[in-house]
Amino acid sequence: MDETRRYRTAECDRFELELDAYMDGEIRPSVPAHLRECVFCKVVFEDLTALRTATRELPLEEPSLVVWANIRAQLSREGAFAEKAGAWSWFWQLDFLRRPVPVAAFACMLALGCWLTAPQNNPQPITTASLPTSAGEPTVVRSMAFLAGGEGLEKAIRELEKAFKAREATLAPDVKATYENSLSSLDTSIRECNDSLQREPGNSLAHEYLFAAYSQKAEVLSSALEIDQGR
Amino acid sequence: MSQQKTAAPKAASETQLVARAQRGDEEAFTALFEMHKRRVYSLCLRMTGNTAEAEDLTQEAFLQLFRKISTFRGESAFSTWLHRLAVNVVLMHLRKKGLQQVSLDEVDTSQDEPVKRDYGDNDRRLMGSVDRISLTRAIAELPPGYRTVFVLHDVEGYEHNEVAEIMKCSVGNSKSQLHKARMKLRDWLRRNEGPMTPGEPVTSDQAPTER
Repeated sequence: MDETRRYRTAECDRFELELDAYMDGEIRPSVPAHLRECVFCKVVFEDLTALRTATRELPLEEPSLVVWANIRAQLSREGAFAEKAGAWSWFWQLDFLRRPVPVAAFACMLALGCWLTAPQNNPQPITTASLPTSAGEPTVVRSMAFLAGGEGLEKAIRELEKAFKAREATLAPDVKATYENSLSSLDTSIRECNDSLQREPGNSLAHEYLFAAYSQKAEVLSSALEIDQGR
Repeated sequence: MSQQKTAAPKAASETQLVARAQRGDEEAFTALFEMHKRRVYSLCLRMTGNTAEAEDLTQEAFLQLFRKISTFRGESAFSTWLHRLAVNVVLMHLRKKGLQQVSLDEVDTSQDEPVKRDYGDNDRRLMGSVDRISLTRAIAELPPGYRTVFVLHDVEGYEHNEVAEIMKCSVGNSKSQLHKARMKLRDWLRRNEGPMTPGEPVTSDQAPTER
């Protein structure tokens, strides 16, 4: 392999034309032959292989509860539900209000939402040294403030997790598996975000994802407990 | 084999849920939403790169689905039907926004600039693994036409002929756009990733052995 060459050859151009087909499983004998010869194209191939692996492993994301609430409200307005289901749904809404754990989670999220949307001229005491210096990143400030002052939500999530653990045995196996998959995915997201923040404390996207993952975890746990309580 | 055994009851229960939803059963609507919401939302999120838009489009896709559910006759899998519907909802949205999504054959030529490959001392390589958050951000940074083809083919698993049909372009164009999208992603990740190795010539013992 020539490791001193610093320019493209005609073989490199041909390699690039055939690379995608080769990566998609088609037979292209010139590609592996060129990979043995060209260190630069070998790097391209390895990068694209890593990219493809990462793409295939991208986890599914969870929409917020607002999405279903809006769909349900719209379908209800359009009369899509049979009468019996509508009456039952209204009863469920009353029933929901009598459940302490989901109500606690809902109240916690409501309080968090109010706090997040409050004017920023009276900030919480944020002690972390990793606050971004840029004033133009409200999301980062908001998320960092959440991390610094959101112990209440984390504590509520821990309580919800305990309640879920205590009751998951009563869930149907497929329902239980669905919730466990969702929670596992969210835990992975939280872990990845924390890893990213350790490497890059000012990463606004990681802050945003971390915030979303915590919120969604509270929603999923709350939803699981509702089902468990006889919906 | 075990996957087939578990898939069969799921399909059966989905068929039952569809039948119940066609009769206006609210619980069936809820269950169908719960089964498919993550895949639909993820598709919308990756095609738009924006959480608010993705939630709106997820909502619109499911609304259209439930409005049309009485016409579903089971010729194709329900999930396939829903997924194609969601893709159309997103493409319609992008088209309304004036992005170059209608046909890749009419795509803005500014997107077609060749993706430069660095050689020599400035060449750097990815570490062999790509951080998920960086990848998500890189996909969102792609020009809309590239992003759509990349998401449909590499993330969602559509074949080039299906992408071409959805995007109303030629198969060759789909392949070309996908190649450019992959190279742009690689380029973005190399420029923006934190931990990377300098582009020293790769020797055989440095090269990852796993493919």
